[in-house]
Amino acid sequence: MSTNFERTESGELRIKFTTQEAQVLINLLEQLLELLGEPLIAEPDPLFNLLGITGNETPPDDPVLRRLLPNAYEDEREASEFRRYTEHGLREKKRANAHLIYEALTPSEEEWSADQPLDRSTIELKIKADEMAAWLSSLNDLRLALAVRLGIGENLDGGDGSQVKARYELATESDPMKAVYAVYSWLGWLQQSLLEAIE
Amino acid sequence: MAQGTLTDSEIEVNLKPDRPWICVVWDDPVNLMTYVTHVFMVVFGYSKEKAHELMLKVHNEGRATVSSGTREEMERDVQRLHEYGLWATIQRADEL
Repeated sequence: MSTNFERTESGELRIKFTTQEAQVLINLLEQLLELLGEPLIAEPDPLFNLLGITGNETPPDDPVLRRLLPNAYEDEREASEFRRYTEHGLREKKRANAHLIYEALTPSEEEWSADQPLDRSTIELKIKADEMAAWLSSLNDLRLALAVRLGIGENLDGGDGSQVKARYELATESDPMKAVYAVYSWLGWLQQSLLEAIE
Repeated sequence: MAQGTLTDSEIEVNLKPDRPWICVVWDDPVNLMTYVTHVFMVVFGYSKEKAHELMLKVHNEGRATVSSGTREEMERDVQRLHEYGLWATIQRADEL
């Protein structure tokens, strides 16, 4: 993990990622953006569209989306009513957060030649103070998504992630989930480092 | 009843303002403790000490009431917590 952090005088945070690290984030963010795209509704109500209401009343089928867009009430009827008016906005907020990081990690050719290392083995970016919330919450969304795929938090896991941790740390290199767990751990380290940098 | 004194029900009203809804955050094994503390500070403007204390309550007891107010206020709080990826729900205070 060669990511490094530097606080500038203007309060910005400069981060340097290797291109491989950046590519991991880009791939994950693309998947997150796709996942958070609006579900297909056969006949969207034009008025609902205007007001930003999807009319979606049931929790998503995908377990990752159910974790990212959870019920706000334990009572199912109340949860549905709340979801109908708010799920669209929550999806949009999460998409906007993911998009902000994605844009920062995918500079245009002009931006590359202006302020990026010539050999392109690393990428440097600046996080402004008002962009920190988007970074922290989108990294968290990625961690939540990977945790669902890894089975962290399920009953069989003992609830605290420790058994999953042991399982993947002992897994052989050929186990594809070992790599997923390594990325999940790296995202946690990255999020923690950002939090420490803004303390 | 003598003029100028309050009835029991009026005292009740003064002591118990209308705050019938609460926002609850549930423990989960994914969100980092430092992150949860940070979110409580940003969303509610709580001091670091109070935010840390609430985070520990969530962690140790499985859940904690993080704010209370009108239903509309709690729905706003829950939306913001969901934006940050915390597992939060709304309920009536008397359902505790």
